[in-house]
Amino acid sequence: MPPARAPAKRAAPAASSSCSAGPAPRTRIPKAGPSTSADVKPRIGASSSTTTKGKAPLRPSSNVNSLDKKPEVNKGEEEWAELMRQTYGSQKGADWYSKGVKSVEDKWELLPAFLKVKGLVKQHLDSFNYFVNVDIKAILAANSHVVSDMNPYYYIRYLDIRVGKPARHDTNQVANVLTPMECRLTDSTYSAPIFVDIEYQGEDKKNRQRGVQIGMLPVMLRSDLCHLKNKNESELARMGECPMDPGGYFVVKGTEKVILVQEQLSKNRIIVMRDPKKDETTAEVTSSTHDRVVKTYVTTKNKRLYLRHNSFKEFIPIVIALKAMGITSDKEILQLICGSDERYQEAFGVSLEEAAREKTFTRRQALEWIGARVSPNQAKDDGGSYGQKLTPVDIAQQALAAMVLGHVPVRNMNFRPKCIYLATMSRRVLMAMIDEHMVDDRDYVGNKRLELAGQLLSLLFEDSFKTFNSELKKRMDKILEKKSRAGPFDAGSLIRQGGDPITSAFVRSISTGNWSLKRFHVERAGVTHVLSRLSFIAALGMMTRISSQFEKTRKVSGPRALQPSQWGMLCPSDTPEGEACGLVKNLALMTHITTDVPEEPLLKMAFLLGVEDISLLTGNELYRPGVHLVQVNGTLIGVTHLAKRFVRTFRKLRRAGRTSEFVSIYINHHQRTIYIASDGGRICRPMIIVEKGKPRVTSKHMKLLKEGKVTFDHFLRSGLVEYLDVNEENDSFIACYESEIVEETTHLEIEPFTILGAVAGLIPYPHHNQSPRNTYQCAMGKQAIGAIAYNQLNRIDTLLYLMTYPQQPMVKTKTIELVGYNKLPAGQNATVAVMSYSGYDIEDALILNRASVDRGFGRCHVLKKQTIPMRTFANGSHERTAYPDPLPRPDAYAFIDRADGMTAPGATVNQFDVMIHRETPIDTRGPSTEGYKPSPITHKLPEPIQIDKVMITEGEDGSLIKILTRQTRRPELGDKFSSRHGQKGVCGLIVPQADMPFNDQGIVPDIIMNPHGFPSRMTVGKMIELLSGKAGVLAGKLQYGTAFGGSKVVDMSQILIDNGFSYAGKDMLTSGITGQPMEAYVYFGPIYYQKLKHMVMDKMHARPTGPRANLTRQPTEGRSKDGGLRLGEMERDCLIGYGATQLLLERLMISSDAFETQVCETCGMLGYNNWCPKCKSGKGVIGLTIPYAAKLLIQELMGMNIMPKLCMEDTV
Amino acid sequence: MSQQADRYSQQNPNPMPARSIPKPPETIEYICGDCGAKTAMKTSELIRCRECGHRVMYKPRTTRIVRYQVQFEAR
Repeated sequence: MPPARAPAKRAAPAASSSCSAGPAPRTRIPKAGPSTSADVKPRIGASSSTTTKGKAPLRPSSNVNSLDKKPEVNKGEEEWAELMRQTYGSQKGADWYSKGVKSVEDKWELLPAFLKVKGLVKQHLDSFNYFVNVDIKAILAANSHVVSDMNPYYYIRYLDIRVGKPARHDTNQVANVLTPMECRLTDSTYSAPIFVDIEYQGEDKKNRQRGVQIGMLPVMLRSDLCHLKNKNESELARMGECPMDPGGYFVVKGTEKVILVQEQLSKNRIIVMRDPKKDETTAEVTSSTHDRVVKTYVTTKNKRLYLRHNSFKEFIPIVIALKAMGITSDKEILQLICGSDERYQEAFGVSLEEAAREKTFTRRQALEWIGARVSPNQAKDDGGSYGQKLTPVDIAQQALAAMVLGHVPVRNMNFRPKCIYLATMSRRVLMAMIDEHMVDDRDYVGNKRLELAGQLLSLLFEDSFKTFNSELKKRMDKILEKKSRAGPFDAGSLIRQGGDPITSAFVRSISTGNWSLKRFHVERAGVTHVLSRLSFIAALGMMTRISSQFEKTRKVSGPRALQPSQWGMLCPSDTPEGEACGLVKNLALMTHITTDVPEEPLLKMAFLLGVEDISLLTGNELYRPGVHLVQVNGTLIGVTHLAKRFVRTFRKLRRAGRTSEFVSIYINHHQRTIYIASDGGRICRPMIIVEKGKPRVTSKHMKLLKEGKVTFDHFLRSGLVEYLDVNEENDSFIACYESEIVEETTHLEIEPFTILGAVAGLIPYPHHNQSPRNTYQCAMGKQAIGAIAYNQLNRIDTLLYLMTYPQQPMVKTKTIELVGYNKLPAGQNATVAVMSYSGYDIEDALILNRASVDRGFGRCHVLKKQTIPMRTFANGSHERTAYPDPLPRPDAYAFIDRADGMTAPGATVNQFDVMIHRETPIDTRGPSTEGYKPSPITHKLPEPIQIDKVMITEGEDGSLIKILTRQTRRPELGDKFSSRHGQKGVCGLIVPQADMPFNDQGIVPDIIMNPHGFPSRMTVGKMIELLSGKAGVLAGKLQYGTAFGGSKVVDMSQILIDNGFSYAGKDMLTSGITGQPMEAYVYFGPIYYQKLKHMVMDKMHARPTGPRANLTRQPTEGRSKDGGLRLGEMERDCLIGYGATQLLLERLMISSDAFETQVCETCGMLGYNNWCPKCKSGKGVIGLTIPYAAKLLIQELMGMNIMPKLCMEDTV
Repeated sequence: MSQQADRYSQQNPNPMPARSIPKPPETIEYICGDCGAKTAMKTSELIRCRECGHRVMYKPRTTRIVRYQVQFEAR
């Protein structure tokens, strides 16, 4: 043992210093290791790729070390290898390993290592890469044959498909690199060509053609296809891109679009529910295949089990269904469903009797019984495709094979797997009938799957590719039906003909967000969103957002509630308030979403590990005591007697890298089933493996990691860290801290603060705050004005808020460093005095120091874009810019250049000044003429603006002008500010510095905050932030406020004391107004304040008189239309109650839409010109004033054949 | 140009001593968004940098004298 230890210490002397003084090595307990120990040995080099894994393209290629042959890098690997040999090798290092590692120092360093490999938006990128590398090929393979109906001799076969890199496609020169920035500026789409290789039947021989383009695929930024992938900071800068930008979105028609993560109930899994009111138990399966998505239920009615499905008009007794699928013996049915358990047999008896009562004993009888009950639509669908009338038996067989439980395949009419599946469902229903607790929780995160961009795009591609093929076939038929063709049959040119259905489908769907795929019955709106660029955090928060498919109006609380199983997976704080509360969630920091892993190798492995194949077993053997069923992705594959050992071995193999690390396996003891899952969309996160009460990761490993010699992948491949999904987490015993590790512990958390997401991670000391305050901050952090990206000044966005002098927070968190908030901050460290000052600070209002404001506190820029496309019309004429002669309004044209009729950067534009003098052709339909009419673009808002940029470019249709205007704003009364603790307030007063209080060093606060903000809000975190911030300022260091950790209050107080301040953070202040010392000590120090985007200048509005709506002649609505201020229903009620009739008359009619009209007293209809059109006389016509809306109503009613009459009365 | 003078005398009663205002050029040299080269273009021409073929062009800063109005703060 000692010889093994010695070299290890030499290799890593620093790390061993803490443990070298440990006790003498204990005697090693010889372990009867499993026979698979040879397999478990870690493999170091990535060169030996996993063969069992079918997902080769997705293998992270980050392990550069083993690829290049530099001696230093190899040395690093050898150190790691040595460490591994001690950890595993011939058990020698086990004792050495176990003694010295009381706590793994800096184990949180695994988190930055994880993020380096995975990134914050890895789930989007992985999903898209999976689609491009794997899924798209599968779709092609499934639709590879296009055969002509006219002449089946001719065909086109797709051999391969691949997607190129984004390039400027309309130039005929060599392919130009198309950067995302160029697409944003020119309003074009960042997309890459899709190429296929085809083989087709020529006139006499088969032809092949490579690289035929079939469409353009929008490319996700930073994915494998994107030019930004693996670029360093300077390369990114060269392309006009920000290195902090997470990517994961698309640029379509110049706008950045995100496909949000969608949360769904998992497909192809049995979910058992109970309705206690109706005393019903239902097992539900949503079968999802490439063809269709159907739901199958096994439900109870009067204690009997039925199969429910849309294909059938009524409930089918389960026994009849099973008999129709070939299990005719009652005993076999009983055994398959109930086993030997008498409780189940008793409960199932009634169902068996029912089948007998219906006189179905043979398979044929059962099929006939079902065939008579197949819903007419279904029968037509099935029959129609064969063009002949089918017998009921055939119809029933068809429905059972294809529609019921569609995801269980029926090959060569072998119904056995489907029978077993149906029996499993029935058994689950029986279990829930007998024991109410055996139902599933729909809100349990383990029963959820997340659908990402890749899946949605693959759905879209499959649909549009099928459309493409059917159109191709039509064109093919058209050519082939001609007897004499001009030239030989050329499939390549045929493909290029016709529109571009694939490209347009992608662009249309992503830019509108409507996924409407008739073929798959998918009809979804609002799938994509514009990436919010209000602040860096807003953009980042959008990438981790998960939207739920539940309706917002439903009053059930279950889906909205915080689920215990979302610990570490979904952020507990970051959810919106109001209607979407709890339905929109955010991913936590360390989560990963899986992509599909092929299950064939898993099946093979399971059988090798001793699983007995289900097809060799009878029901009798399935449910014997001690037997565990094994399910892979929801299908029963077999049983095992040694459940624990099987699971343990399987996990060992996974840790050794023999399967994908994202395969999960766990035992459900209630159902006595082992579940193996490899499907996509499961949420999982990494955890440190603990064995025999000792975490596998030690300080030595961390040292190598910190030295940059190893990456996160090494930890993963060497079996020190593994991914657990929610279900497997439930089967593990996870310690949060090392001190909590006991004998049974299986895993250790990497770092507790990773239960929070990226947005909630900005809050310092969130564990000291009342929880809703953290939620409020999560909403407000997205509205904070700050730096957005390194390329913020080159961007031309519709609306961009930038802070002039942003600062990184004094009190930061680990998360802040990880997401880069300290490099792109949104706020400033304000010195805050928590005290009352004047009366202008009630209701959370803040007092600002004028001198601070003068020096740039809270100053921001507002950049706005105006896009002016130069339209081209049908007759070839197009709009142009010009300099008018003579000038209509010389003042308004002061900055317009004679050469091009546009303003230039640097100009100041006042209200109604012209920015671009555009001219539109008078005749846009007929032959093009020379006549133009001016249609200038003017500045509409009252505040003057500066022109920041004038950009001209050639867009996808015609030339395009974009003007960026700028405004610099200093804080004013009513502007909104907030700290990072959900404490928002408006500026109530700006006070001259002379009137502000000051301490004995002459420090004057930037902000005075009213202390009444604290008691009810209980934001203790904010108080500690002030204390830590003050200590940080005095010590010249940044302090940490990381969740469940951070700088301790005691230490902070000590720093304050050392610097001659009160330990409590309170200072003696002198009033600036009276010059007297304050009567109390004031809590005084820096707090990070955010300026929020809601500013008075954008909201301030009043009008004396102004525009009216055309239809009703009432004042328009809204500030943008210079609208009036509404005297609403409730205000009206007040005036009625008070009896202020004249005021009412004035507000509701005279100042609004008074209309002088005439009414005929005899008939009560409206007249005009002293003439009643009905009475044909002017006798009783009198004048009166009514609201125009009333007149309109009368006329509209008359238009609907209702005659309202106005009956006059004398007013006295 | 006379309109310009009017504009400023209106706004500011005590203008700076009269300066020779550079005459705006007849054709404007636009700046390429990629390489920074200047390209003179007419409105009717295709928008493209002569040097690198990039198609995003920016207008250079105005030659006119700009006087910023002082933004009065709210009291």
